[in-house]
Amino acid sequence: MQCIITIELGTNGVRVFAFDLDGRVIGSMKGYHPTFHTEPDYSEQDPEQIFITTLYLLKNLLNEYVHPKKYKVASICFCASMHSVLAVDRNGIPLGNAITWADNRARQEAQDLRGSALGKTLYAVTGTPIHPMSPLLKIAWIGHHDKERFRLTAKFLSIKSYIIHQLTGEYMTDYSIASATGLMNIHTIAWEPDALQYAGISSDRLPDLAPIFTTAGRLKKAYQQSLNLPAETKILVGSSDGCMATLGDGVLGEGKATITIEDSGAVRVMGPTVLKDEHMRFFNYLLTENCYVSGGPTNNGGNIFEWFTRQFGDFSHPYDIESSMQQLIEEASKVPAGSDGLLFLPYLLGERAPIWNADARGAYFGLNIKHERQHFVRATIEGILYEIYSIGKILGEQRNIKSLSVNGTFGVIPFWTQMMADMFNRPVRTRQRSHSVSFGAFLLSATEMGIYKTLDEAAGTVELPDVYRPDKQRHAVYADYFAVFEKLSTRLSEEFEAISALQRKHVLPQPSLTPIKN
Amino acid sequence: MNQFVLQHGRSPELRLFPHILEVGIKKNGSIQLNTFLTTATEGLRIYCIMEGRFEWRIGQQPYVLYPGDTALILPGASLGSDNSVLDIGAFAWIHIGIQKQDNGQIQPGRWSGLSETEGAAIGKILLLNGTPVLSRFSEAGKIIKCIYTELFGNEIGYQARINHQVDELLIQVTRQMTKQGHSGRDFPKTFMHLEEVLRRNLAHQWTVEEMAALVGLGTTLFNERVKNYSGFSPINYLINIRISEAIKLLKQPEISVTDIALDTGFYSSQHFSTTFKKLTGYRPSEFRKNHLRNK
Repeated sequence: MQCIITIELGTNGVRVFAFDLDGRVIGSMKGYHPTFHTEPDYSEQDPEQIFITTLYLLKNLLNEYVHPKKYKVASICFCASMHSVLAVDRNGIPLGNAITWADNRARQEAQDLRGSALGKTLYAVTGTPIHPMSPLLKIAWIGHHDKERFRLTAKFLSIKSYIIHQLTGEYMTDYSIASATGLMNIHTIAWEPDALQYAGISSDRLPDLAPIFTTAGRLKKAYQQSLNLPAETKILVGSSDGCMATLGDGVLGEGKATITIEDSGAVRVMGPTVLKDEHMRFFNYLLTENCYVSGGPTNNGGNIFEWFTRQFGDFSHPYDIESSMQQLIEEASKVPAGSDGLLFLPYLLGERAPIWNADARGAYFGLNIKHERQHFVRATIEGILYEIYSIGKILGEQRNIKSLSVNGTFGVIPFWTQMMADMFNRPVRTRQRSHSVSFGAFLLSATEMGIYKTLDEAAGTVELPDVYRPDKQRHAVYADYFAVFEKLSTRLSEEFEAISALQRKHVLPQPSLTPIKN
Repeated sequence: MNQFVLQHGRSPELRLFPHILEVGIKKNGSIQLNTFLTTATEGLRIYCIMEGRFEWRIGQQPYVLYPGDTALILPGASLGSDNSVLDIGAFAWIHIGIQKQDNGQIQPGRWSGLSETEGAAIGKILLLNGTPVLSRFSEAGKIIKCIYTELFGNEIGYQARINHQVDELLIQVTRQMTKQGHSGRDFPKTFMHLEEVLRRNLAHQWTVEEMAALVGLGTTLFNERVKNYSGFSPINYLINIRISEAIKLLKQPEISVTDIALDTGFYSSQHFSTTFKKLTGYRPSEFRKNHLRNK
């Protein structure tokens, strides 16, 4: 009996799954590792802790679910968050922490490049929006501001490349992760000379490019022994979380789109052509040759509802945010669609797609004397989903989206899923126990093994049993209010800039309890 | 209540309570210069503001204290005000003799009803805590008044009762300290705080009780929340941090494996070696050899 293991290196932690060859889950585990913010714009993670977390989970998954039932591990497939950068020296030893996608230190570099002709060219050939998240800009930042680290760096890796290197000794990156670095030409599938020149590096300081099915060397002896795995166990380089969530929902093919809502969110389509956009609003990442995952990401997903819950939820049970959120959703469901005209702009973390404005800020709008507490709850959720809808709407200008699927912790909450069906006026498919990213990695491995001939065939087998159908009346209400939402999100850009400048100027000291300043 | 002060060695009322070095209530009607002198002592001092507004320096840092605020001055830390000014107002205070161990930890003496582990945990948490001021915490003042009443009343059982009250004060102050800043709403933030303290004190032999108390939770709820949030039991999470830090140190040639073991909180190099090998498949020295070799 064979099984497939997937390892997802996510934003907040690691998830491991064991699947049987029919795609049924044998067992799964998750483990958290922290993100450090040593400076306001910084967002870093410890590569060694990620490695140890991965090893710990893998070992426990094997010992608890796989070895006792005598499964033979056919392959271990990786997928990971995009846009991370880890500099290592010539011995492969990390030079500081890994810089994650959420890091904004390259703010200035991004602003300068985005406004230039080179920026437009690089966006078109690399598919990666010009944004501080992009490794292209992070490497340039290190070159400008951290010259010693830049000089000592033998390779600029992603977190996944580092973990694979620890396990097998190979330096390798897959097409999907590489296509999200801003350094790879997605049409020629090679490191892009103009991007390399901008970043100030040559291609030998990047890992080798490999198709997602590539075996990334053999497990080192010590790990074969400690994990009790044979030498021939395949370690597949795999793909990115975004690409795998799309594949895992079976979104290959005409007319399909998928919505992911975790802390942040995205709307994605998959197909043989890229989305072209003169406003540079979409990403185009590569799954395999001639297959692109395209779409738009939002900063403001479930994390905004968590913020709201922490401020206004009931916490009679300390730290039980799940029940608090559940309670708020029940309150929200008692308010009619449209929240009686209360609108919420969810830009608490600035915004990427569709407005790409780091200065954007949140607002409640349309407040009148009849609004009550529960209107705020519903308006908050509606605001988050109007934003998702606005990404879907501009995608719809280039692709005819007929069917939608939803995944991610927040996306699969029935109240949210129904709201998306109503806003989009399309049936929305989902599965309650959602693990689309890992399931995508399973499909990738199964295709590599020959169980499916192609990824198309693999995607075609995906069944999403739960269907939420749109309600015409609610759709009409949402459509009316969305028109105002959309105008506000673009018209306020001057005020967004002014208020965020003031917020930077008058940085408030921590209230109370810290010593007063003399 | 009138102002008073009792001092160990001078006041007969304290003869049976050698661990109470000083206790009193001060009411000050006009600003006085050169009266509130900066002092540092070996004991633990707790001040509760009842009226007025006081500008004090605690361990060099300036604080403004208002009624209901309680200041905690750790052994060795200084307390005073600029120009030794005593502002207008009233406060109660107590100065408790506390045992300082060789390893720098503090612990209540034999008079205390706290068990050795609980006493040690309280000492650890008081030492670790960043802020010396507890806001809106008037319970401490009430307990000091109760100690005063018992000291002068001499009713049956007063000796036991006073010692209970001092324990009560230590417990309340510690609980308040751990709850302050942890609203029960934001576990990621609370966990981040815990994680920072653990990293700063990695060599300490942490117990689950200490970790739970640091964030103001009982151990049962703490275990559940940590497991639910991180996927790890608190101890396993701690081991993960220890091994991750050890890996970083092993990749630098200058530190010995024994030092790494102790710095990252393992009992011995043997304990380190066993734990490390179990997780990574390598003994620490093998791991080092493998990663320091130039490729």
